[in-house]
Amino acid sequence: MNYFPDEVLEHIFDFVTSQRDRNSVSQVCKPWYKIESSSRQKVFVGNCYAISPERVIERFPGLKSITLKGKPHFADFNLVPPDWGGFVYPWIEAFARNNLGLEELKLKRMIISDECLELISRSFANFKSLVLVSCEGFSTDGLAAIASNCSFLRELDLQENDVEDHRGHWLSCFPDTCTSLVSLNFACLKGDVNLAALERLVARSPNLRSLRLNHAVPLDILQKILMRAPHLVDLGVGSYVHDPDSETYNKLVTALQKCKSVRSLSGFLEAAPQCLSAFHLICPNLTSLNLSYAPGIHGTELRKLIRHCRKLQRLWILDCIGDEGLEVVASTCKDLQEIRVFPSDPFVGNAAVTEVGLVALSSGCPKLHSILYFCQQMTNAALITVAKNRPNFTRFRLCILDPTKPDAVTNQPLDEGFGAIVHSCKGLRRLSMSGRLTDKVFLYIGMYAEQLEMISIAFAGDTDKGMQYLLNGCKKLRKLEIRDCPFGNAALLMDVGKYETMRSLWMSSCNVTLGGCKSLAKKMPMLNVEIINETDQMDISADDRQKAEKMFLYRTLAGRRKDAPEFVWTL
Amino acid sequence: MELQLGLPLPTHNFIEKFDLNNDGFDPKDDMVGLKPWNCEDGYLGNKRSFEVAFGKNIKGGSQELPLLSWSGQPNDEDDWKGEKKISCSINMNDVEENQVVGWPPIKSWRKKMFHHQHQGVHVVNRNYRMVAGNHENGAGSNTRYVKVKMEGVAITRKIDLRHYNSYQTLTNSLTSKFAKCQNLEKDAAHFTLTYQDRDGDWLIAGDVPWQTFTESVQRLEIVRNAG
Repeated sequence: MNYFPDEVLEHIFDFVTSQRDRNSVSQVCKPWYKIESSSRQKVFVGNCYAISPERVIERFPGLKSITLKGKPHFADFNLVPPDWGGFVYPWIEAFARNNLGLEELKLKRMIISDECLELISRSFANFKSLVLVSCEGFSTDGLAAIASNCSFLRELDLQENDVEDHRGHWLSCFPDTCTSLVSLNFACLKGDVNLAALERLVARSPNLRSLRLNHAVPLDILQKILMRAPHLVDLGVGSYVHDPDSETYNKLVTALQKCKSVRSLSGFLEAAPQCLSAFHLICPNLTSLNLSYAPGIHGTELRKLIRHCRKLQRLWILDCIGDEGLEVVASTCKDLQEIRVFPSDPFVGNAAVTEVGLVALSSGCPKLHSILYFCQQMTNAALITVAKNRPNFTRFRLCILDPTKPDAVTNQPLDEGFGAIVHSCKGLRRLSMSGRLTDKVFLYIGMYAEQLEMISIAFAGDTDKGMQYLLNGCKKLRKLEIRDCPFGNAALLMDVGKYETMRSLWMSSCNVTLGGCKSLAKKMPMLNVEIINETDQMDISADDRQKAEKMFLYRTLAGRRKDAPEFVWTL
Repeated sequence: MELQLGLPLPTHNFIEKFDLNNDGFDPKDDMVGLKPWNCEDGYLGNKRSFEVAFGKNIKGGSQELPLLSWSGQPNDEDDWKGEKKISCSINMNDVEENQVVGWPPIKSWRKKMFHHQHQGVHVVNRNYRMVAGNHENGAGSNTRYVKVKMEGVAITRKIDLRHYNSYQTLTNSLTSKFAKCQNLEKDAAHFTLTYQDRDGDWLIAGDVPWQTFTESVQRLEIVRNAG
């Protein structure tokens, strides 16, 4: 390989697409580093504060596509105050200033303003794809800028964002010359949209394959849209409170019959039973179904629908499907790979699924490897059975609504059950646990979870040992997030070098003190150790023995961040 | 469906590889700044019990769980011998009334879907519970009564909109309420729910997001579909 000219090497590297593999390639030798870096087009930055935009641009001048993640994961659950950070503007501004030919931008948990959206739309002539997941800070005006100015836009995908809605005119901003759309998802928008503009847009987008509407698109418009876009592969529908009149129903059925390519279905904030039954037509071909936004759909309707979905690989559903419904899933969906069962009621005692549903899934679905399961109760016996049935789990997230509830039958902690999971599932990469858990479960995890990369812990453990077992044992750990556990400074400071091998550590409502955090920050200059201080009493010179209520630390090449708000101290 | 105990419960196999005698961690060194054990305060050793963490008083008499002990594992005498912990059960009503920040771990906009649920009786789902009526829930009253009239029915009913979290739950409930006393068909397809908003206009229910609807609705009327 040493004798090949650079162009040949570059061509070979083109076949190496995953970021991890390209990182490995770049570490072989200096010439490979140079070639790989200059030719890499797609970059993933898991923590926007780990590196500066300038440095990324310097290393990857050919950058066309970037993914950036901002806030810590627990921000999803309101544990991080707003304005904590995660602003994308400096990145866009740097890209624009350096004339980067940016084409794709994907953001998760970041703050993006309308000004920033406008800057994007004006700075990058070939901009093709904008994907925003769990972001905020913008309004439909920013979307209007993107629609107006990005002539070659292929993808506008808004997932679960908090968008200020100034009503529907942004859709009309797509010029008549814009015919390149492949994917349009505005399901998270709360307001009305211009329905006529939407219909026209769909009519002039022959490449449209993914369309997710919001609640404001009524059934008769949906039916017209489907008639214009029979090649859709991914469909997200609106909200249908009333059953349609027979004429609309028949038209809907006709339209759905033409949609032979739909493989993914979502939406349904409300779904009257007869309306839902029209969709049974496309169920046999579905590989992905998301009904998790519809608390009003009865279990019986859900079960009826599922029975038609024999090819399902991914299912997101609410727990009102019940254990019975999960048994239907287990017997019907033999190709199922991922399932998420969300609570329709966040209160203890009201979840409609138990360990019975989980065991049924593990037994009936041989390809199941990823699960998120909110339930009322769990038992060690069930978890042990699940571990035996399904050693192929890669992601296992269990949330018992009462977070310290022990085994529902024996009243023992759930240590043995989760121990069995990590022992059996040798490829487990992500784990979340709940229920009564002692230090013992961490001993098991440290011993057996060799591939574990991310773990979320809440209300678990008894002493520092718990966290120590974890840090000692899990060699591939990248993200650790802990809340309400009795882990203190001894655990935090046991192996400070470990944190440089990880992306980040979050600890809230634990026993670490300000002193412990300061000590860590002093020993490890390559880490940003941030304390989020939400009370007035504490200040930086406060007693070091005071507990640090929220600490977030991450490795970084960029030094302390300059945009930290008042309530965030970098030690 | 029978649950079988699959794997034998892990015994000393797990501990063999991990020699606790040599790990050098003395539990006494860990207790920097921690309160001493005191179960009356709700502290289970180092760990705050659920109630203490969230400021609830443990309502007495619910400590029924057996003592947990670590016995039966070789090599662990140094660390776990004699450590016994008492586990207190969680009083479920307490948890309901007090919402723990960030628990359960679901995204905020999903939680907004539940916004109306915790203020009253659930009508949908077989797991509905009576929840105590005296919730503190920030500003605003706890009830939202509106009159509901059905075309052709003499009696007007009154319902509390706070009991519902979606159009579907509302229409289901209304259908069963009216059908019961009037011997009407339960088939909801023949009726349309309409409402009068703040401006006095009569609109078809379902066109605006649920939350917007509950804020502006003044009264409801169920009308028969024409034809």
